[in-house]
Amino acid sequence: MASSASTLVIGSGSGIGSSIAQRLRSRGDSIIEFAPTLDLTNAEAVGESLRSAVGSGTIDRVVLAAIDPSAFRSAPITSLTEAEWDQAAEYSMRAAFVSLQQAHAVLADGGRVIVLLPTVAATGVAGLVPLCTAVETIRVMAKAVARRWGARSITVNTIEVELAAFLLGDNDASDAEVPMVPVLGQPALPPASAVDDVIGLIDMLATPAAGAITGGLLVADRGTVMQP
Amino acid sequence: MSGLNGLMEGRVVLVTGAAAGVGRGVAAAFGSAGAIVGIGVRRPEAAEETAAAVAAAGGTPVILKCDVTDAMQSAAAIEQLIREFGRLDAVVHNAVSGRSSEATDFENTTLDEWEDHASVTVRATWRLAVQAYPHLQKSQGAYLHMSSPAGIEGSERAPFYSAVKAAQRGFVRALAREWGPDHIRVNSVAPLAISPALENMKILEPERVKRIEGLVPLGRLGDPETDIGPPSVFLCSDEARYVTGQTLVVSGGRFTSL
Repeated sequence: MASSASTLVIGSGSGIGSSIAQRLRSRGDSIIEFAPTLDLTNAEAVGESLRSAVGSGTIDRVVLAAIDPSAFRSAPITSLTEAEWDQAAEYSMRAAFVSLQQAHAVLADGGRVIVLLPTVAATGVAGLVPLCTAVETIRVMAKAVARRWGARSITVNTIEVELAAFLLGDNDASDAEVPMVPVLGQPALPPASAVDDVIGLIDMLATPAAGAITGGLLVADRGTVMQP
Repeated sequence: MSGLNGLMEGRVVLVTGAAAGVGRGVAAAFGSAGAIVGIGVRRPEAAEETAAAVAAAGGTPVILKCDVTDAMQSAAAIEQLIREFGRLDAVVHNAVSGRSSEATDFENTTLDEWEDHASVTVRATWRLAVQAYPHLQKSQGAYLHMSSPAGIEGSERAPFYSAVKAAQRGFVRALAREWGPDHIRVNSVAPLAISPALENMKILEPERVKRIEGLVPLGRLGDPETDIGPPSVFLCSDEARYVTGQTLVVSGGRFTSL
């Protein structure tokens, strides 16, 4: 069902962010997307782009699904140069900070922030240390801002999906290479569209009934990683 | 701390950020366990008290100039330990940004403040791992991070500090899997302890400290040497040979849901 709310999708250039933006638009939602070429660590450019898109209004929902592609390249940390470590791990942290900070400035009271991440950091994955480090950083950054923005009735929650779903969304034809994550085990539930699952959760979190859910982690991975 | 007697006898440990607070306490605890303790500090003249505490506890202190944001300094600190003692058995990364106790105005601050935190707690976490790897591989040693409960539950007042401490937890889980085949263990401790900032608060705002202590089931804040030190030594010792990828919350029961 279409929502009349305006949704900003950050990280809509590929993967699950792209699939969610397309799906919401196709059902008639009002969607704002950042240009894929925008440097998300440039606060001035991000802020300007947002103000230009929003005008004098505000936005109701923010979906953040922005992890730098280099984070998904499997490699031992001892093989990385400092520049490679920075791009694979720290760039996405900075991007999350700038995105959340700038989005907050145009977010309506009572707005909803949904941070999408892959489940990898819950267990850790050899070869993906930068990715796991970035994901856990962003997840707890989201919890911290959930505490800060609660006074404005803004909720901030994280949804984690399987790595392949995060990278590919529902684009089976994508040429993105999905690293092996053998330690995560098998899903308990049969195959389904992670994009559908996430959109269902985004819609649920947007309801007034979900107004007390903030700082939470919802894991939509078909029961692959069952948190203690 | 007789329980630590001999636990790290002859072992060589580098503790970063060891000039005061939890770092000093952990360094002294390693001294009690008989270790040779590399006291990594930005200003060597600030490490005398820690060195005296390590020596008094029965350990061998070595003061090392080690600003962890400077790749050459951290490499030189490790190389000095190898040159003098021939081995490195554990690295305890405890250093934090000098701004770690400051409140962060998330909505209005800039990436410069983020960089202050990330350079010490994220980048140096990676860099120390890379620099120590061949030596820890040889000793089948341990890499321990001093994280924080804030890095698990998120802090309204300190969102950057929370985030970089969370980074260490993600790093620990993944690196424990990556280095498992080398028999290098990777863990973290999330302590609730008296810090220099809390010592000041005790003088300036004693009621606030009492309120914090009231939230702790055991009724007090942890002592860096006698409460936080022993679990840290344990995690780096052979007694924890089957423990890796974990965060041990040492908080007197303050945080029971993490």
